[in-house]
Amino acid sequence: MSYTKLIMATSLVGTLSACGDVTGESGGGLVNENKTIDYGQGNREKSLSELQAGIWIDPNGCDHWIIDDGIEGYLSQRLDKYGKPVCSGVGEPTTIVGPFQGNQTITDPI
Amino acid sequence: MHDLLKRLTLYVGAACALGLTVFATDVSAQKREGGGLLSGLFDKDDKLGQEVEPYVPGIWVDPDGCEHWVMDDGFEGFMTPHVNRKGIPVCRRGTPCGTMETDQFFDTNSAKINQAGQVRLEEFFVAADAVSYIIIGHTDSRASDGYNMRLSYRRANAVAEIAQRTGSRIADVRGYGERMPAASNETTNGRKQNRRVEIICLR
Repeated sequence: MSYTKLIMATSLVGTLSACGDVTGESGGGLVNENKTIDYGQGNREKSLSELQAGIWIDPNGCDHWIIDDGIEGYLSQRLDKYGKPVCSGVGEPTTIVGPFQGNQTITDPI
Repeated sequence: MHDLLKRLTLYVGAACALGLTVFATDVSAQKREGGGLLSGLFDKDDKLGQEVEPYVPGIWVDPDGCEHWVMDDGFEGFMTPHVNRKGIPVCRRGTPCGTMETDQFFDTNSAKINQAGQVRLEEFFVAADAVSYIIIGHTDSRASDGYNMRLSYRRANAVAEIAQRTGSRIADVRGYGERMPAASNETTNGRKQNRRVEIICLR
């Protein structure tokens, strides 16, 4: 009987940690509450909607919008109205075209 | 043994639900207290609380006019295209720079562009001067789906050939047949609008 209890107790612990896994691990750092402001602008914070993008061409030749505001980098796929990748041929694969660092007020240390 | 296993499974399931309830209560309690940024940074409970921290995105509109979810939490930036549940991007304006009503360019069931149409298209591509073009054919819903898929693709290819003749670069050629109607197929006017070749100009 005590053997059964042991199994139950062990499985309870295992299950609870599994529950935690489902919701995912997140970093324990400090994050700002308003996620819609670009904090990479020193004291000149601005709305993220004003970011200026360039185009990064992936190894398959397809386009992604790329933005580097000085601290954060953003990358998001360019899609046509039907949701298919846009592969415009605007540049060679694995290169960047356009003013993707145009908005930055902080010099990129890297 | 089987019975024991079954009972064990039930027990484990109940424990999981109970555990989640405890987490949820814990989190809401934390919210009520206002949970300062530094409070219990290395505390296990706080870490669990972070699982439900709101990450409300902003919207960035790309040069094509389509929306992306964007977030900046002070350190990292995140971005992903805003698509609906069917995978169609949410855009504020249309990207096609030309929609050809196919009636003016093709005979019924034909993928051969008439002479006047060829001249008009050549002029169009020279004037548009885009980096490249996506050319997409569509039909109305008469005839079979398979036939319409083939016809729309052949028509798109015919347009792409003229584009190439003017030195334009073609990014993609597709035929959607009757599957992406622009208007109702119930009316004559709607069907006419659906018989089209879209030209998306990529800049």
